[in-house]
Amino acid sequence: MDTKKKKKKISPYMVFSTIVIILLAIAFAFPLYWILTGSFKTQISINSTTPEWWPSEWVMTNYDKLFSRQKSPLWEFAVPFSSHFSADGKDIIWWAGPQVPAAVRWLINTVFMAVASMILTCITSAMAGYALAKKRFVGRSILFTLIVCAMALPKQVILIPLLREMSSLQLYNTIWAVIFPIVGWPFGVFLMKQFSEGIPGEMLEAARIDGASEAKTFVRIALPMIKPGIGALAIFTFINSWNDYFMQLIMLSSTSKLTISLGIAKLQAENSTDYGLIMAGAALAAVPIIIVFLAFQKYFTKGITMGAVKG
Amino acid sequence: MKKQVSAILAASMAASMLVACGGSTSSAATSTATAESTSTASSEAAPAESTADAGQAADITLWTYPIGKWGDSESVDALLADFNAQYPDIHVTVEYLDYTNGDDQVNTAIEGGSAPDIVMEGPERLVANWGAKGLMADLSDLWTDDQKADISASVEAACKDSSGAYYEFPLCMTAHCMAINKTVFEAAGAMQYVDAENHTWTTDNFLKAVQAVYDSGKTDVGAIYCSGQGGDQGTRAIINNMYGGTFTDAAHTKYTADSAENVKAIETLYNQDGINFDASINGGEEITLFRNGTLQMAFCWNIAQQTNADNSAAGTTNSGDDILFMAFPTESGDPALCGGIWGFGVFDNGDENKIAASKTFINFMANSDETAKAVKTSTYFSVKNSLSDLYKDDEVMNEYQKLMPYLGDYYQVTPGWAEARTAWWNMLQQVGQGTDVTTAVTEFCNTANAAASAS
Amino acid sequence: MAHTAVAKKQSEPKMSRALVRQETIAGYLFLLPSLIFFIGFVIYPMVMCIFTSFFDSSMNRADVFIGLQNYVELFHDSVFLGALRNTLIIVVVSVPITCIFSLWVASAIVNMPPWATSLFRVIFYLPVVTGSVAVTVVWKWMFNNYYGIFNYLGKSMGLLDQNINWLGDTRYALACIILILLTTSVGQPIVLYVSALGNVDQSLVEAAEVDGATKLQAFWKIKWPQIMPTTLYILVITTINSFQCFALIQLLTSGGPNHSTDTIMYYIYYTAFKLYRYGYGNAMGVILAIMIAVLSAVQFKVTRSD
Repeated sequence: MDTKKKKKKISPYMVFSTIVIILLAIAFAFPLYWILTGSFKTQISINSTTPEWWPSEWVMTNYDKLFSRQKSPLWEFAVPFSSHFSADGKDIIWWAGPQVPAAVRWLINTVFMAVASMILTCITSAMAGYALAKKRFVGRSILFTLIVCAMALPKQVILIPLLREMSSLQLYNTIWAVIFPIVGWPFGVFLMKQFSEGIPGEMLEAARIDGASEAKTFVRIALPMIKPGIGALAIFTFINSWNDYFMQLIMLSSTSKLTISLGIAKLQAENSTDYGLIMAGAALAAVPIIIVFLAFQKYFTKGITMGAVKG
Repeated sequence: MKKQVSAILAASMAASMLVACGGSTSSAATSTATAESTSTASSEAAPAESTADAGQAADITLWTYPIGKWGDSESVDALLADFNAQYPDIHVTVEYLDYTNGDDQVNTAIEGGSAPDIVMEGPERLVANWGAKGLMADLSDLWTDDQKADISASVEAACKDSSGAYYEFPLCMTAHCMAINKTVFEAAGAMQYVDAENHTWTTDNFLKAVQAVYDSGKTDVGAIYCSGQGGDQGTRAIINNMYGGTFTDAAHTKYTADSAENVKAIETLYNQDGINFDASINGGEEITLFRNGTLQMAFCWNIAQQTNADNSAAGTTNSGDDILFMAFPTESGDPALCGGIWGFGVFDNGDENKIAASKTFINFMANSDETAKAVKTSTYFSVKNSLSDLYKDDEVMNEYQKLMPYLGDYYQVTPGWAEARTAWWNMLQQVGQGTDVTTAVTEFCNTANAAASAS
Repeated sequence: MAHTAVAKKQSEPKMSRALVRQETIAGYLFLLPSLIFFIGFVIYPMVMCIFTSFFDSSMNRADVFIGLQNYVELFHDSVFLGALRNTLIIVVVSVPITCIFSLWVASAIVNMPPWATSLFRVIFYLPVVTGSVAVTVVWKWMFNNYYGIFNYLGKSMGLLDQNINWLGDTRYALACIILILLTTSVGQPIVLYVSALGNVDQSLVEAAEVDGATKLQAFWKIKWPQIMPTTLYILVITTINSFQCFALIQLLTSGGPNHSTDTIMYYIYYTAFKLYRYGYGNAMGVILAIMIAVLSAVQFKVTRSD
């Protein structure tokens, strides 16, 4: 019904705007297109002054090169703080699997990093947000002000102290040095507080009168009510940590510990003009997350919107 | 809906954790057996102290800059296999650095408390930078009298600091030079300005040659690249050589890049058709542009580039044009080429055992039967007189020997070097944007000399 | 239900002391996991940052207390002032453009058929999910002086008569950075605006149009006030994003040419790991943190008072 009405009055402005939108959309999709096609182009076609809009010859050499670089075990997991209680003063490391190209490891590291940050952030923020919204306790407003102020703080500001701190905790060059600051970033707490405000106080009161413990009240009553918020926060944290290049740059150094973003940056520094190889790396980084995004597109948009409404 | 998404994400996380923990215990043993160079968990599997000449068991880390094939994991793995055949209890983990971010990476690692045990690079970093900051272990015991007799005094001088502590044990060396696209030069009638026999030319002829190539329609002749420090010795060498300027004083105490000779050279280059000050590329990128025919000369060149055959036959560009290596142009006819001296330095991480193991490694690579192979991996010349005939059958290497006598002062060990080279490319960027040369160079010298006197 | 709620509200100010204590303990127990991370990896480093900013601190030597000297030097450091200026330019230029652009795109696609709306929403969001590093490396190639696509297009369309060194020229480098930043930051605002515009009460708009209001008037009078909260939120996140722009600078220009694309973010990194001046870098961090805190406090006040 609505669309019918629209069809009746196609104004020149609408035609114009649709054309502009299509052109813009092409421009926005172009870098991705250029990454994907570039990764299959020959060195000669990449370095030619006349760009090949469609590869005249499709080659796998760039991917061969990418995967023939250093190898590392498929999985390696350093137990945080384990050097403090292991017998020889070294980190306890679990590792397994066949040797795979380092680029594959970067992808695995990134997935682990993003998922671990996401889960830790959701758990800690949901608890903290609930407490800030629903508990009346001393220091609550001061804490909340602190959180709001710290929210906008760029992490670069504290890079030097953070690096020294990670060094003394012996977390430097482990993925935890990237994960922990992400979890500490208080946006999640703020968001969860906004969501928790919506939990009716009388329901909590009723639970208390029924003699439910604090933990039980939280899990049984509060958690189900803020679930949509947790979903939004999860998506937020996932994207943010996936793209959080800066922390990774400072905290990670071994080839086998890099994330995919850092790995491509390293590829670029080492082979700064071998754009075919770099595009292969970029494609490897971009395609999995884009597939995830397309698969969960609806949730992504919902999550983003919900975060904004409450944020 | 939200339920589903969080459930799926949580499930995937749980799955990956399970894979992690489940797999670890069962297959750790098998992977230890393969004993590849990245292993960090294998130390407990080595209680055997029976090995005759090993003596120590240690996990050490080696970080190499891309020095010839020392930047290539396949070649290095071959060397490590030889090393482990003799010293099975010393496990070496290798990381490969690049010249764009490598320094940042080492510096963050130092600050992060995880500096590598061995770094392979030159005196400008090992001695003048980290050595001067007190981070390196003294390698005097590697410098026996035999070694000193076998290595030239100027190389030795570069490897030690003013107090006499040695922070580098050298492996290989070369002279940095420049290169021209001979085919293009011939077509442009510019070869008349070049002494192809001796690989030299005068400043005047250099400028005429550039003009001739430019006039022939190849408008991008050369680039004073300055996006970062990668390959910056090339830009310093062309500027210093043209009118006989120097980069520092002879005693290596202060920077003299603001001398009239240097200012004249920079101004001449800036005004020359066909030479761009390009702040978007570094030395490595310049080489690629030279190889693919975009640029007709490269200032960042040396024997490793000349013999590199990754993308085309050695000594030719991607399209098959001949590449001729050249000394930098001078008025006097006596160029002073920048040297590269690469070797090993050891970070003092407070663990005597690791330092000892590192020294064992260095001795094996730089002072044993393996040395010839280690040097050849670098594709440069040996620092040792006893290995001077290493490439006696190699025509290109022999031809390149013609440049070695022009090896100039190794000024890269002047105090404040790291700060000075950062200021250098900033200065070139300023000139490229039209800042007055004298102003820019004076500012450079003030910054550099301030850093020199501070350290 | 309503009755208990009122009763609770009244009783709240005079909670018994035991109850207060119980609430406090429970509150802090819930907060504990989060506080460990927040204090450990945000507050503690921030305090250390402020503390070290009063020292001359460098690699492998003892820190020397120098009072406010770092701060005094900062305001005489032309590179820092340039970086401050560049940071503000990036924020001042990119924030309004992002908002206006995404509002326009959203209003143009929101009335399209649902499949088209969702298609365009996905496309404009693509650069965000692609990841900053992957996006940056492809842009670096497209801006390449010798074989980049921009010079080719410019020349073949007759706009340029010779190659422009986009990232190597002080006149263009910062603009290029801002352009890339824009493409990676409009995705989220477009999604938000599409949803906000979709929620606008359509009957009000129609009523206004029946009353003879033009489209533009209907937009200003009816839609704009309703999407105001979304706009404020977008302003806040875009400002924070613009301040945080680092990967672009580090990978594309390293602050060059001639410091023309230095931002405070990048200059802190540069000071720490190229010049080894940790105290000085921390002083910069403190200044930046103060600026951002003030800005976000203002924005927060504005949002809440609405």
